Amino acid sequence: MALDGIIILDHYGRPIIQSGFRSSTTAYSLLHIDAVNNALQKAERSADVDSVIYVPPSNTANGSSACCHVEVGDLRFLCPVSGDVDPLLAFAFLQTFIDILREYLGTVSAATLRDNFDIVYQLFEETLDSGGHPLTTYSNALRDIVIPPSLLNKLLSVTGTNFNSTINSGFGAGAAVGPFSSPLPWRKTGVRYNNNEIYFDIIEQLKAIVNKNGTVVSSHVHGKIEANAKLSGTPDCSLNFTNPQVLDDCALHPCVRLHRWNRDKMLSFVPPDGRFTLMDYTFSSNPLTSPTPTQQSLPSVMSSRSNLAIPFMIKAIVKLEDSGGSFDVTLTSRYSTHALENIVADINLGAGAGGIRCNVSRGSGGGGFINAGGSRNLDTSGASSGASWSFDAQRTVLRWEIPIVSPSSSWSLHGSFSTGTRAPRPSHAIRVRFDISSHTYSALKVGQLKVTNAKENYKPYKGVRGRSSGEVEWRW
Amino acid sequence: MSVDYLNTITENASRLGMRIQESLSEHTREMNLARSNVSYLEADDSKGRNIRKQLDSSSDREKLDSMKRLIALISKGRNVSEYFAQVVKNVASQNLEIRKLVYIYVLRYAEQEPDLALLSINTFQKDLNDSNPFIRAMALRVLSGIRVPMVGNIVVLAIKKCAADFSPYVRKVAALAIPKCYQLDDSHLPSLIETITKMLNDTSPLSIGSVAVAFEAVCPTRLDLIHQRYRRMCKLLVEVDEWGQIDLLNLLLRYARTMLPRPIVNSDGEEVDHDIELLLSSAEPLLQSRNPAVVLAVVRVFWYAGPPSVHVKVVRPLLRLLHISKEVERVTLSYILVLARINASLFSPHYVHFFMLSDDSRQAKAEKIQLLVCLVNFENHQPIFRELIEYTEDPNDQVVADCIAAIGKCAKMVPESMQTCLAALTEMINNNHDVVVSNAILVLKYLVQTQLSQISGANAVNPSQSSLSIVSSLARKIDHIRHPQARACVVWLVGQYCASDQVTSAPTGIAEWAPDVLRKTAKTFPKEDVLVKLQIITLAAKLLVLNPAEQTLGLIVRYVFSLARYDLNYDVRDRARVLSSLLAGVGSPVLTPEDGITPFEDRGGVVLRSEQVKVVLFNGKTNATDDEHAEHSNMIIGALGVIVGKTTLSDTILPDWHEEGVESTLRDSPDDTPVSHASNVLSVSSSTGSATPVLHPSRGNSPSAGLSTTNGRKWASNLDDFFKEDVGSDNEASSEYENDDSDEEYEDQAEGEDEEDEHDEQEGQSDENNDEEENSEEGNEEDRNSEGNLKNNETGYEAFG
Repeated sequence: MALDGIIILDHYGRPIIQSGFRSSTTAYSLLHIDAVNNALQKAERSADVDSVIYVPPSNTANGSSACCHVEVGDLRFLCPVSGDVDPLLAFAFLQTFIDILREYLGTVSAATLRDNFDIVYQLFEETLDSGGHPLTTYSNALRDIVIPPSLLNKLLSVTGTNFNSTINSGFGAGAAVGPFSSPLPWRKTGVRYNNNEIYFDIIEQLKAIVNKNGTVVSSHVHGKIEANAKLSGTPDCSLNFTNPQVLDDCALHPCVRLHRWNRDKMLSFVPPDGRFTLMDYTFSSNPLTSPTPTQQSLPSVMSSRSNLAIPFMIKAIVKLEDSGGSFDVTLTSRYSTHALENIVADINLGAGAGGIRCNVSRGSGGGGFINAGGSRNLDTSGASSGASWSFDAQRTVLRWEIPIVSPSSSWSLHGSFSTGTRAPRPSHAIRVRFDISSHTYSALKVGQLKVTNAKENYKPYKGVRGRSSGEVEWRW
Repeated sequence: MSVDYLNTITENASRLGMRIQESLSEHTREMNLARSNVSYLEADDSKGRNIRKQLDSSSDREKLDSMKRLIALISKGRNVSEYFAQVVKNVASQNLEIRKLVYIYVLRYAEQEPDLALLSINTFQKDLNDSNPFIRAMALRVLSGIRVPMVGNIVVLAIKKCAADFSPYVRKVAALAIPKCYQLDDSHLPSLIETITKMLNDTSPLSIGSVAVAFEAVCPTRLDLIHQRYRRMCKLLVEVDEWGQIDLLNLLLRYARTMLPRPIVNSDGEEVDHDIELLLSSAEPLLQSRNPAVVLAVVRVFWYAGPPSVHVKVVRPLLRLLHISKEVERVTLSYILVLARINASLFSPHYVHFFMLSDDSRQAKAEKIQLLVCLVNFENHQPIFRELIEYTEDPNDQVVADCIAAIGKCAKMVPESMQTCLAALTEMINNNHDVVVSNAILVLKYLVQTQLSQISGANAVNPSQSSLSIVSSLARKIDHIRHPQARACVVWLVGQYCASDQVTSAPTGIAEWAPDVLRKTAKTFPKEDVLVKLQIITLAAKLLVLNPAEQTLGLIVRYVFSLARYDLNYDVRDRARVLSSLLAGVGSPVLTPEDGITPFEDRGGVVLRSEQVKVVLFNGKTNATDDEHAEHSNMIIGALGVIVGKTTLSDTILPDWHEEGVESTLRDSPDDTPVSHASNVLSVSSSTGSATPVLHPSRGNSPSAGLSTTNGRKWASNLDDFFKEDVGSDNEASSEYENDDSDEEYEDQAEGEDEEDEHDEQEGQSDENNDEEENSEEGNEEDRNSEGNLKNNETGYEAFG
């Protein structure tokens, strides 16, 4: 009952790197790779592939197993599990491992992995015990035992200098800076900075569904606080908020002292060095009803939802005919102060769609009107005051992009498509993603951050900023 | 002084080096220069010969280069075991980088080359005494990973030694090595259990999780070993690392189900054992973990060990998991579905979380629909209905089918919604899409049947008017219904419910719309699907029985039967023959022997009378049933079987409650009461217990000296004595335990208070600081420091000077 290992597949489904599998046969990992590739081939949309695939036993000796997989960029991470393992364990571990890779390599892609395959192998060894249990996953501890790739490192190894014994001066000498000498597993010891700084990013995401009548049927805001700590020594931070009542259902980094948080809503922690996610939370606009969810009757749920307005409005008129259809979509910003940025609206036109003709234009506030003129079977895009559209023929998704929607401006997209011989069957929803900088839905405010340090006296620079994004499904 | 000065200089230099390295790496990550490693992966095999030479060379650079090349070959799936001899020589390399790669290599090929692997064992044994905990741990990991049965004894010794190491990291690795050693050779079981027993006393939160792993793998049935450690494990839970928390929670849950009395719910409230309460209260903070697997482990504890009143606490954490990622959402939905089937009212106020998005995976969509059906009740049926109706526009046929079936089920669960539902379904019949129409009809049939069976029971010949109107509207649409199954279904419905008492109807005894359906379908009979043909014959027979005198009807029936008699499909022919014989006693004037209906022929059998034929044709139809729920009843969350839909897969079965539980006094731990008692047996074990957790930095130079192994052995035998005494049950002993208990409680309280005081003091201070000057961060250094030390002692870590 354990995680058997990790296999990383490239874009074409070929394995790039895999951890050592303890199980008896070499066919084991191949079976799982095949199972995933088969499932991917069969599915109409890659999103339809079940993320846990049952892999029947190859022979009577092996028990049956399952393969949990996650797609990251152009890669796919596989985690075969055998016996009765909670798949959540596999996904939690995969996510942790991917985060570690990101920290080590910057971007996780086939190229960077090939480039640093020896590092990845070492990470496999250190994060996952060969018996299938996670070992060391705090990046602070890992950095002591697997040295992050760097140019200097490479130059030195090329010139033959025994660099590793230099950087890990703790080895052999038994000094305090060696690995696993820190009293706190998530923070390494002996950290020094000339400029002590700590930054917090409050990032919130709105997820909402609007039904055909334009009513918001569900809206949730999920936030997280990401921190980047560059503090010397062993700093003890305590962070409080001026309006902690907007925080609901929090998940905290292991470094946070839980009893302090539960008692006085104060985040008291010794931060890891570098970047980490301090907490996740849900924004509750109606905190009074939240503590007793069973007591909530329907009206209170409704009212708590109706508080959150979607920052824009969409009017979509779609006419479907026997072999095609036409659409006229208008998007109007409802915000009067903040601009919506990087708006991406996706419309899935359904199987067989093609022959797109589109006009993108800006409504109020002028702006050019340019006929984009897409031609049949070609992915074309036209631009109008920065807005553009494109069509992904394989996924039959029409994408409408607007870089910036200034307050209360409106934009429109109208055009037509044909579906050849069959009746059009588009997905009756427009999926809109957007960003809003320097804004949070919850208006969560950091009250005060105190950093105390046992040994050193310094005044760190403290920074907080907020940003928001959203994902709205607008049905028509 | 000068030494200090030198130290600071070297420190600064190394820091500078680090910084340069960091900034360089930032800037050169994209440069081609940094891509030298790619060549390893793309190198062709002609360089293979060089590897041997490089491995034997004296330069670390050459060796590292060749090791990387070997690892690259491994990742390409090449078998490079031929280099084993050369690689093993480097196992003692001073360069850590090389050594790590050698370890990776040795682990992969040790099984194929047992003799050569034995050569390296000396080095690993030497490494077990290294002053660096990382080296010690790595040596043990490789040693236990070499699957050569001959080394079994060495590994057992190594594990024993490392289990007493002063570094919790090494102890953790030692615990993880135990299952491997057991798999290799189970004859080591007694000594391994002994080591586990000793390690269970470990108070370090870093290693205790792995000890739980070893316990589950090696001696899962020895739950008696947990008794005295149970309470301490509960208290330790919050401090344990996230992966360890999962293993420990699962172990504690199993213990609770086996050893603790089941929570009793009666009219006065709930009766919960205080040890279960301890487990619940210790686990509750972990619902705030960022790790979804930890959250689920806590949910399992609450659901399977807690009384019903605490079940509500798991709802919001589970809902939070839905938003972590698509994959986690998909798994969590399955789990919520299992829980919602047991207690839907917990989740029904949160139904909006399960609304479907157009880009959800198919699996997630299917599960969300099932969940909505499961959660529907009187308060939320309207919004759920609206949602389900909108989902019928999904581009995927299966989703549409699921949705429409769900609408039918909702209507059944909330009878008030029947009218809305019927209206929606009848509207769907006009839809352009074949799938929608056919599924809507199937559901309508299901609804009509269930409704009719509810209202009029067995007497289906006189159905209520409202559902009759559905049938009649379906009958009128027969031309537009193209899906064979749906068509067959409509024809069957028409036949089944066409009996009418109204005198106004044209052929007496038959609803006016029924004969027309027969007329239309008779016309298209040759082109129909077999399913439809069968139903058309049945319809014809039913109509004839209801009104044998009608001339036109009889002619159509005759036409249908003669077509069916010469049909290509033998099922159709058989059905026609059966029905025609059945109709023999009806005595219709239009039927003649040429049609295969031979009323007056002497056939020797029994000829049924008209009323009897009616009973045969109309009654005794099975009612629509759904028996989905039966198979879900014993599903357990947190198991793979639930996710992949293979129930047989779940081999870890949650143990059933031991109704009474075992004596609570068994869990009274002597660890908490170091004060010696009259019984010398107890006093020995208590001293063992207290010796374990405390770690002194001064021991750093001799890692193995931390704990003596003899104590551990005594510990195990003591426990047996302990049980014997308990079974003997002399009053003295029990009263002694009672004492024990109270002592311990007192102790605990005192400790707790101490901590509280510390905090309060500090609180006061910091508050003051807050008021006086906002920005003084250095305010209470001293206090922080003292708190830090306190914490270190608590968690069993070595205090860092």
